[in-house]
Amino acid sequence: MRDAHTSGRKRETAAKAVFGFAAAFSVFAVFAIIFYIFYAALPAFREIGVFHFLFGKLWAPDKEFLAVSERFGILPMIVGTLCVTAGAVLVGGGIGIFSAVFLVAFCPKKLRAPLSHLIHFLAAIPSIIYGFFGLAVLLPVLDKLSPTGSGMGVLACSLILGLMILPTVTGIAKDSLEAVPSAYFEGALSLGASREQAMFGTVLPAAKSGVLTALILGTGRAVGETMAALMVAGNAAAFPTGLFSNLRTLTINMVLEMAYASPGSLHRNALIATGAVLLVFILALNGILGLLRHKKRERKIRPDRPPTPAKSQKPFSEPVFKKRGGLPRTLKYLSAVLSGVVLLALALIVGFILIKGLPAISPAFLFGPSGNAAASLRPAFVTTGLLILTALAVALPIGIGAAIYLSEYAKQNSRIVKVIRLFTETLSGMPSIIFGFFGVIFFCELLGLGRSVLAGGLTLSLIILPTVIRAAEESLLAVGDSLREASLALGAGRLRTIFYVVLPSAVSGIVTAVILGIGRIVGESAALIYTAGAVMYTPQGLLSEGAGFAVMMWKFSGEGLYLDYAYATAATLLLFVAILQALVALCKRGLTRGKRA
Amino acid sequence: MKRQNGWDMFAFEGETAVTIESLDLYYGSFHALKNICMAMPKHAVTALIGPSGCGKSTLLKTLNRLNDLIDGCRITGSVRIGARDIYAKEVDVSALRKNVGMVFQKPNPFPMSVFDNIAYGPRTFGVRKKAELSGLVENSLKAANLWAELKDRLHKSALSLSGGQQQRLCIARALAVQPKILLMDEPTSALDPISTGKIEELCGELKEAVTIVMVTHNMQQAARISDKTGFFLLGDLVEFGDTGELFASPKQEATMNYISGRFG
Repeated sequence: MRDAHTSGRKRETAAKAVFGFAAAFSVFAVFAIIFYIFYAALPAFREIGVFHFLFGKLWAPDKEFLAVSERFGILPMIVGTLCVTAGAVLVGGGIGIFSAVFLVAFCPKKLRAPLSHLIHFLAAIPSIIYGFFGLAVLLPVLDKLSPTGSGMGVLACSLILGLMILPTVTGIAKDSLEAVPSAYFEGALSLGASREQAMFGTVLPAAKSGVLTALILGTGRAVGETMAALMVAGNAAAFPTGLFSNLRTLTINMVLEMAYASPGSLHRNALIATGAVLLVFILALNGILGLLRHKKRERKIRPDRPPTPAKSQKPFSEPVFKKRGGLPRTLKYLSAVLSGVVLLALALIVGFILIKGLPAISPAFLFGPSGNAAASLRPAFVTTGLLILTALAVALPIGIGAAIYLSEYAKQNSRIVKVIRLFTETLSGMPSIIFGFFGVIFFCELLGLGRSVLAGGLTLSLIILPTVIRAAEESLLAVGDSLREASLALGAGRLRTIFYVVLPSAVSGIVTAVILGIGRIVGESAALIYTAGAVMYTPQGLLSEGAGFAVMMWKFSGEGLYLDYAYATAATLLLFVAILQALVALCKRGLTRGKRA
Repeated sequence: MKRQNGWDMFAFEGETAVTIESLDLYYGSFHALKNICMAMPKHAVTALIGPSGCGKSTLLKTLNRLNDLIDGCRITGSVRIGARDIYAKEVDVSALRKNVGMVFQKPNPFPMSVFDNIAYGPRTFGVRKKAELSGLVENSLKAANLWAELKDRLHKSALSLSGGQQQRLCIARALAVQPKILLMDEPTSALDPISTGKIEELCGELKEAVTIVMVTHNMQQAARISDKTGFFLLGDLVEFGDTGELFASPKQEATMNYISGRFG
């Protein structure tokens, strides 16, 4: 019996170590990404010089008659990135915050749930579809407005990116508005303020830090967005001079030229160095977020200042009370109108793509042969299936293990939990293209997997890991402690309690995590082009190249020949995303119903 | 149940089931139990009464070391089950909890079938054979007066039972690992009067086989079913004695005030 008991203890200790390792994995992943990107960028920084690279005004890698320090300057792209990010935050941030206010305060109750679902749906639409929408719908309109006859450039890019970051902003702003104690709202009303005065004058200022967080996360998404920007920016490596002037962002530079930069060349290293600069931007934004959160926690009530003696006391005269509130009322209508604009945009995207795309879907298009002579989605089905299997095989065990550590072993709100959460958030905030470059450097080259479905799947596993951890942890924490106590009180160990009582109760959360992960994989493009490849034929196994739906769509839309195919692929992708979203909603409903019973 | 012999580390001869000597318990800097001394006799129901926050549930959880889960919980003094100090280093907490079962305030069946709920404990301790498990499930349900109601619903979800049935299921689940002591933390406070009556009746029957320690808010309940009663106030054990005596002629004024309803 002695032995049974010590071996049981050993097993418990070993399990704790395994879960702890899984939890630390995102920390390793973040460090590995930063390390390898900077390490691979180092030769470029050394050869070109950091100053010349960052502040050089000319990007012309093939003008070999120029000195190295003169032809690799990314200042135009830094400026371009800043320009469109500012534009996107102006468009998406503004509309996003107003529609959050509308959802929380002014929206009729019956519409609230469907509207929230639509905003979620907007967030789940893959970036390649936004880009394609911009290319096919927005640009022709802008072409007519533009003095040069071409609508590509700053305005188009800002509008599309703004639309893309909108759901992020709305979602987080909505959460923080809802978290404001209702006493604030009621207090304002009790003083005679109208609903809109209370909302804009009291509740919104109280949710300031949450709204700021929403804007910063949106900024991060805009800075790192690749495929959508690529399709509408015009891509010339020059300084933007006006709303319709072409530009190139850092991300566009990376994805555009990687295809013809030969391995080991200075050109390629300079592209990776572009990635390193992008990474610095993203990490800086993360740092600001961290500071914001820190400040919020540390804020203390300031000691009262001694009252300043009034210099000249005016004699008190009877005040005149007036009914006011013109501005808040205007803002209220504005929030309703802007929410309507969001719906309109969503309807346009979905309607346009379904109307043009659905008729082009045929059995031959879905499952027919594909290669250089003909094109079909068959390779995309096979590739996506393999990518999902690989990515889930890695991300699920690690993600669930990490969630178990965070909810069952670590003390809530302890330092270690905070660190792991910080790194998981950092990982989830990294742009796809950074994952793609890391995948090329680490999985394809260092591990020798080459450009393959396996390398793509492993890259994707890092991308979906934060989603899996978060969804699994949420559902584990939702399991009542009374069940854990009941199991422990029967003499069961921690492991048995976790695997037989806690995890089975958390199944719907884990299913949600899987579906969210699949959604991300189905629509991913920037991380896959250089890790899994962009070929038209069906992969023969994990070690051959293959393209998923989004990458296929990029190829179709880029080559002009297959524009119908691009519409059809977009429609297929949209349908997938809609189905997955519906499944997630069902899972969540099941979760809440289970809790009530 | 041959296997069970190995878990019999608590020498259980003698008349006393639980001996507590100068027990102090702290949650961080909060002194939750102050110098508690008491001896709970075997095959009896010991009731712990007192106003909310007086430490009675805390004391219950020191008996199966469920307090170990709480950060910053510190204990001095000794708690013996049978002859063994359960806070000694070499004690296997799992074996302790097998011997000291617990029923909680709110019924907490696992989201599994009735059968799997009851078989959970035995399975934890290595019982795998279907026949053995079926026997244990049947005996436990019978002991909890549930067999007649549930014998045709063994494979239905335990969450579909009524509140009273769920609580008796939790008692059956605790009995399935054949504990020597059963801790009950206000087991009827979430139940209707009829279910409460059934559980009180059950306690009377069960004390033939196990020693029961029960926390209750309900003084009539303590008077009805317990043999010994301890009255707690702000972490102190004010008075401890035979139930009849304590309710008829309390020695302390605080006890008197409490049982006559003057506060609490």
